[in-house]
Amino acid sequence: MEKIEEFFDITAPGKKPIIGNLHPLTLIKKKVVEIFQAMGFSVIEGPEIETEWYNFDALNIPKDHPARDMWDTFWLKPESSKLLLRTHTSPVQIRFMEKNQPPLRIIVPGSVFRHEATDTRHEFQLYQIEGLMVDKEISVAHLKAILAEFFKKFFGRNTDFRLDPDFFPFTKPSFNVSVTCIICGGKGCALCKKTGWLEMAGAGMVHPNIFKNSGLNPKEWRGWAFGFGLERLAMMKYKIDDIRLFRSGDLRFLNQF
Amino acid sequence: MNFSYNWLQSFFKRKLPSPEKLADLLSRRFAEVEEIRKENKDFVLDIDIRPNRAGDCFSHLGTAREVAAILNFKLQIANGKLIEDKKLKAKNFIHVDVRRQHQQACSRYTVRVICDVKVGPSPKWIQERLKVCGLRTINNIVDIANYVMLETGQPLHAFDFFKIESENSKFEIRNSKQIQNSKFKIPNEPKKIIVRFAKKGEKIFTLDNEEYDLDNDVLVIADSKESLAIAGIKGGKKAEITEQTKIVVLESANFNPKVIRGGSRKIDLKTDASRRFEHEIDPNLTEIAINRAAGLIQEIARQQGGYPKVTHGLVDFYPKKVLPKKIKLDLNYVASLLGVEIPNSEIKNILKRLSFKYNENSSRCLEVLAPTFRLDVSIPEDLIEEIGRIYGYEKIPPKLPFSTLIPPKRNLEVFWEDVIKNILKEAGFTEVYNYSFISEKDISIYQLNQHKSAVLEVENPTSADYQYLRPSLIPGLLKNIAKNQRFLTEPRIRASSLRGEIKIFELGKTFKKFSIFNYQFSNKPEIKNISEKRMLSGVITGDAFYEAKGVIDLLLNKMGISNVWYNDYQPTPEESKLSIWHSSKRAEIKIGQEEIGFLGEVSPKTISDLKLKGKAVVFDVDFEKLQKLASEEHEYQPISPYPAAIRDIAILAPRNVKVEEVLNVIETAGGELIRDIDLFDIYEGEEIPEGKKNLAFHIIYQAEDHTLSSKEIDEIQNKTIKALEQETEWEVRR
Repeated sequence: MEKIEEFFDITAPGKKPIIGNLHPLTLIKKKVVEIFQAMGFSVIEGPEIETEWYNFDALNIPKDHPARDMWDTFWLKPESSKLLLRTHTSPVQIRFMEKNQPPLRIIVPGSVFRHEATDTRHEFQLYQIEGLMVDKEISVAHLKAILAEFFKKFFGRNTDFRLDPDFFPFTKPSFNVSVTCIICGGKGCALCKKTGWLEMAGAGMVHPNIFKNSGLNPKEWRGWAFGFGLERLAMMKYKIDDIRLFRSGDLRFLNQF
Repeated sequence: MNFSYNWLQSFFKRKLPSPEKLADLLSRRFAEVEEIRKENKDFVLDIDIRPNRAGDCFSHLGTAREVAAILNFKLQIANGKLIEDKKLKAKNFIHVDVRRQHQQACSRYTVRVICDVKVGPSPKWIQERLKVCGLRTINNIVDIANYVMLETGQPLHAFDFFKIESENSKFEIRNSKQIQNSKFKIPNEPKKIIVRFAKKGEKIFTLDNEEYDLDNDVLVIADSKESLAIAGIKGGKKAEITEQTKIVVLESANFNPKVIRGGSRKIDLKTDASRRFEHEIDPNLTEIAINRAAGLIQEIARQQGGYPKVTHGLVDFYPKKVLPKKIKLDLNYVASLLGVEIPNSEIKNILKRLSFKYNENSSRCLEVLAPTFRLDVSIPEDLIEEIGRIYGYEKIPPKLPFSTLIPPKRNLEVFWEDVIKNILKEAGFTEVYNYSFISEKDISIYQLNQHKSAVLEVENPTSADYQYLRPSLIPGLLKNIAKNQRFLTEPRIRASSLRGEIKIFELGKTFKKFSIFNYQFSNKPEIKNISEKRMLSGVITGDAFYEAKGVIDLLLNKMGISNVWYNDYQPTPEESKLSIWHSSKRAEIKIGQEEIGFLGEVSPKTISDLKLKGKAVVFDVDFEKLQKLASEEHEYQPISPYPAAIRDIAILAPRNVKVEEVLNVIETAGGELIRDIDLFDIYEGEEIPEGKKNLAFHIIYQAEDHTLSSKEIDEIQNKTIKALEQETEWEVRR
């Protein structure tokens, strides 16, 4: 006898288990941290409320110097406390070197604050990652090799990058790091303003004064450091067009990750 | 800053590359060109001159020098001719007085006096260049001063000689109209220009008719009576150049960058001049710039049939001449810091192109002289940067560093943060990041004001919404709920929630300050009296107390923390947390004797204050404590080869009997053969007597060494029932 085929509708929807979502910055941070950990970098964190010394003076940014204008700062009350919300993760360089003898390799993720008006590209609270390597013989060539590894692992094989001159009081020489535009692959498009490049990070060789201010002998040690914003990285990776979405708490956005 | 392409071209005989090509070269070797704009026959390059190079490159000359070094072109500096009138001596017109106590603030003050000028509109070529750079045209004298500033980077200021007060007014020629068509008289004694700090309460009217209240840390240029200009920032109305001006007193000075920056902040006025001075300019530039300006005035601001007379000599106050700095440069260091061997000849060539002089101390060591306009260069690393950028960073081959093979130190906070986030994600929670700031209103809703002294306030918030640092993650999370409850029909929210339930969490820092007395709680010794603590908080909407409790149990279990229990919360009167919590549906989360957090439903008042839809349950856990208690240790429990059996027990008990009390009785009576007790129903209502509730349990029996017989199980079950019925008001239902 022939069996009667039972009707079964495979087009009816599956029953999805409900799971949540991690924040895109968490995902990006995890990926970045993994790449650097694999290269021997330890993850170190530092306080978000900082003293003027660690955030500025120790980093070679003296009071009354126009270089301070590069970081618009939130100060805490009372003003006399000289406490502020860190404007970058770089104070952790000093804090770590004060307590740890080189050679060292660290990355420092964390929130930073900039006193500025917000729009689609500007935000007053950001998530940064800082890298620092200190050893006896450390050069720009080494920085380039580590950055190359990172970008290749993060963006994929065909990503190129370049160093352009820049200025940060705590590095000498200082670089502005750009990567091949991930949208057009370097041909030039609206995102990269027809240049084929996207600015990614600031970097440089640790300024001798930073070693001095950390209690290390600048004649003995050399190092490089870099820092970049995770929002920018996430915006590139996920093609997000408004930086304010990250801290909007909007599930229409967050549930996509 | 805006630069004119044509102006840059004017420094070279050779043709510059196209604006786009030049921009690319500058970006790679000097500073980022942010924009190229066509403007009439010219192009504007907007170059992001970094603060270290503002001192020399907020000028076309400085930037042209960079172009020359990059392209290896020869730079031609326009040297207009200047013919002094030997009969008129500048020092008979003006005397400069910088008191010793003000010399720190003014390292050089240079003056030229030019007679017989004709003030009028400036020629078109000057106007055009000013316009390209974003400056307005005023008149030929002021325009020339501005032009020379854009060219050289040295701010200049022009005063009307007759408007400067004489010390001895007898000799004053007050009415300049009197001398309009006649020869002026040489003054009997020079007028005095004084550089000093303003007096407290002193006022000045500036050229744009604004009145400024000065203070004793604002530097001014004054005559014997009152101030004529805010030094290095803005000229005053009093000695303004007008069409009637016949004698121009030209100032080219060098002011202390900190004084100008401080003054500019004090009176809240930034100008093209102050921006340059605050970056520190080479004092040797004043002379070059003033001669250039005087030459242009002589050429341009002339009467028909005559030339302005430039009086003989510079009036120059310059007590301490700035000389080139000597820097020893070890060429081995150049190679090892850059990580590339650049031939000696190329290094020397680059230095030469950048106007650095050098002596060869040995084959691997140079003594370099930095030109005084490069005040930013003072250590070998500065020179290495110069060499590296002109050589080209792209020519440095990447090389992986040799390093001791030390594995990275494990960061347990980061590890557990990851673990927790993943567990919560899998339990259906979406992670949010909120700002670290909250508003006054947030504080009042949470009645944190009782503890407002513990909340850190921002001195300069961007808005009232972000005036304080959050002492808790809860305000942000509940705001997220309110916001997202408006979007419940959105597909992206529907798809990830059951019946409109929202589950979110945040793991982030909270901030509090302590009074002096208990600052020892702060774990950051140098930042006294402040705690920066990481919290893990989450919200589930709806009647979800037990769901939230289950999430905490799951989380702790997965973190290897076993001895968790929940305690009725005993509120202390000053406890600020109180008001947002429901009066009974709340509990302390405890591990052993330590409280690690709090769990509870949000109070109806807070729900309505925040306009939330329905109920919401919040958990708020101290991440740092949690992380310390967590453990990766985990021991396997042997699997019994003998089957487990299940029996049910239901009991009717008064409402106020706690589940835990019942469980204790069952466990004690049942002994070790009871492997697990599972509460599967709590019921009150119909068919149940008033004031009572029904609790139903699955009881799982299992032995490790034999199969339990029904008889054995019945015995234990009966023993358990007996024990339960010992309690007078408990009744086991059969």
